[in-house]
Amino acid sequence: MCYELNDQQKAFRERVRQIYEKVVRPIIDEFEAKESFPTFLFRRFGEEHLLCLRCPKEYGGPGLDKISECISMEELNRICAGIGAGVMVHGGLATDPILRFGSEALKQTYLPPAVRGEKIGAFALTEPDAGSDASSLRTLALRVDGGYQLNGSKTFITNGTICDFVTVAAYTHPEKRGTGINLFVVNREDQGFSVIKKLKKLGNHTADTAELAFDDCFVPKERMIGEQECGGLGQLEETLKSGRITYGARSTGVAQAAFEATLSYVKQVKRQGELLRSAQAIRFVLAEMAMFIEVMRYTTYRGAWLFDRGLATMKDASVVKLFCTETLQKIVMKAIEIQKEAGLRIDNPIQRYFRDARLFKIPEGTSEIQHLVIARELGI
Amino acid sequence: MEFELTEEQKDIQKAAEEFARGEFDPDLAFELDQKGIFPERMWRKATQLGFIGIHYPEDVGGQGLGLLENTLIIEAFCRVDSGIGSALSLVDLGSDLILKFGSKKQKEKFLPPIIKGEKQLTVAFGEAEDDQDLSVLSTMAVRREKDYLVRGLKRYVLNVSLADLFIILCKEPEEQWLPLIVERDGEKMGICPIEKMGLRMISSGDLHLRDVQVPHENRLGEKGQEMELFQYYHRVKSLRFLAQALGLMEGAFERALKYSNQREQFGRRLSQFQMIKHKLAEMQVGIEVSRSLTYRAAVELEKREMDPKVLFIAQIEVGRKMAWVVDEALQIFGGYGYMAEEGIEHFYRDAWTIRSQLGTEEELRDLLSERILGKRG
Repeated sequence: MCYELNDQQKAFRERVRQIYEKVVRPIIDEFEAKESFPTFLFRRFGEEHLLCLRCPKEYGGPGLDKISECISMEELNRICAGIGAGVMVHGGLATDPILRFGSEALKQTYLPPAVRGEKIGAFALTEPDAGSDASSLRTLALRVDGGYQLNGSKTFITNGTICDFVTVAAYTHPEKRGTGINLFVVNREDQGFSVIKKLKKLGNHTADTAELAFDDCFVPKERMIGEQECGGLGQLEETLKSGRITYGARSTGVAQAAFEATLSYVKQVKRQGELLRSAQAIRFVLAEMAMFIEVMRYTTYRGAWLFDRGLATMKDASVVKLFCTETLQKIVMKAIEIQKEAGLRIDNPIQRYFRDARLFKIPEGTSEIQHLVIARELGI
Repeated sequence: MEFELTEEQKDIQKAAEEFARGEFDPDLAFELDQKGIFPERMWRKATQLGFIGIHYPEDVGGQGLGLLENTLIIEAFCRVDSGIGSALSLVDLGSDLILKFGSKKQKEKFLPPIIKGEKQLTVAFGEAEDDQDLSVLSTMAVRREKDYLVRGLKRYVLNVSLADLFIILCKEPEEQWLPLIVERDGEKMGICPIEKMGLRMISSGDLHLRDVQVPHENRLGEKGQEMELFQYYHRVKSLRFLAQALGLMEGAFERALKYSNQREQFGRRLSQFQMIKHKLAEMQVGIEVSRSLTYRAAVELEKREMDPKVLFIAQIEVGRKMAWVVDEALQIFGGYGYMAEEGIEHFYRDAWTIRSQLGTEEELRDLLSERILGKRG
């Protein structure tokens, strides 16, 4: 057992932190206010080999491990969760199924440009009537000559308006509830694919979130991920397993940001003539935040470590997501509370961390779903 | 011990709720919140119907009712929309100070225009994000023959953009603290609203006072009453925010309840899942506890010798319950809860903005423990 990052991972953390500080930090306010994703970042991150981190060298990727992906996500979310969301989906949910289950041709077509940031990926599972219950998807993939015709609508899709391709879940066999699902790669220019509208949200304002529609959208059979019809469910589960671990890293990053901001605040601010830092109650709050962050970070790394060895179960992934996203709320809530009215100013990043963090209890399985998963895997 | 509202109070509650349901259009509320615009039209209607200043005496145009009745109105408004409700409940912030400490002349001059919807009043005491911190106070008043000349910077002043009257607290070389009623003066006041996360329909920001002239007769209260006035302000302000918190929780609960009865997942309505049922049950616990504490605080504040512990306890617990209830309400909506157009998202932002006005748990525990142990404790 070794409780230390290796030298390569440590150096990687230093490098990504520097890049994100330099490239992302200065543009956050502008793009948060505009509620739009700075798409040029994809190319920029591509040049720095910071996209699709687990993609192997043969497809142009850096071929790093899950721990490194978590390090990168922690550092990016420490600066901006909305931008973190776009990069996470691109390198995770959108491309993971292609990388892990796609044909050689699909990999050759989609992965190299995704790695370079020339093509942006999205992932479309959730529908207006199918959130927690993915088996109630209504999007259908009807087999036609040479491929499939997709019909349905998707919502809350990250990178929705800016994507070049989207990995879509649809029923090839709707009579097989839950299991008759497949994943398809749809190109932006495909006939019948459209972006309905961009959605306004509580936080993650830089993340591009949209509703998508598929209206007799033809997808050639080569763009189905995997060869078997009804093979999508397992692919989805594997993809979500990885994604849930990433949420541990996202949470740790935002928690770290909120903690740093709180620490510097209590060191500077006086109330009733006394520095806040000298109050015992405040010192306890900071101590607790620090404790929580330690546990979040190492729980995440443990999940990633198991994942890298092929040992992570869905329970492991759900434990990471549930613990980290819920613990994060305690940290940001205390952080915003302490700053009182100063914390609510739009020019104070603490309220952004607070709004951004609230999202994390919802996507890729709400906290309630994580409880259900863990309980199920306990065999009760 | 009577533990029920009177028929008259129930009628007021009902009338306020009917008014709000009829007037607070959700689409308009969304727009006003996004753009940060005060609900002007609704304010005018609310004043016409007597919802502003219901607790002022009849001789200044009020209805001679109490703080509890005013609390019921704020609660009902915020239940329908936390943003509009909060904005309307803050148009006469500080009127309680004029009611309690003002001279007959001041009451007759300043209160009727508020009741009629011609003027708005606010309080500008604070000079830091903690408006109870007197140690930072540096706004100065210089006494001249006929007036005071006031110079300083007040921060996080609620309703700073629209208030016509400000009650400010300043220092004066001879009288340590000096509360003054100051009329808006476009030339000698600089107003800098800040953009904030929640309660976006009511402005907040800096008020620069650049040698503003204030007549001697605008001094509020007798000499020696300053600290009592300062304390009373924080109490009546807290009560207004408690009422907002209570209404907000009820509104968030109602929305979550409705959604959980409509939304189906796994072939069942959300409200058929045990964990959702239990969340709804626990939300009711939070609301009931908060209602009791808030009404109790309103009644306590009317007493000649109030027990301030009641208010601190309410501030701690209602703040905590509100945070929990609004969070669970949003969670029941799932992804839709996070989206601005579903109508629950701004409750979340507003809740934490209200909470910032109630105070942090740490400082409230300081105040409460001081009452339990004594100052030297």
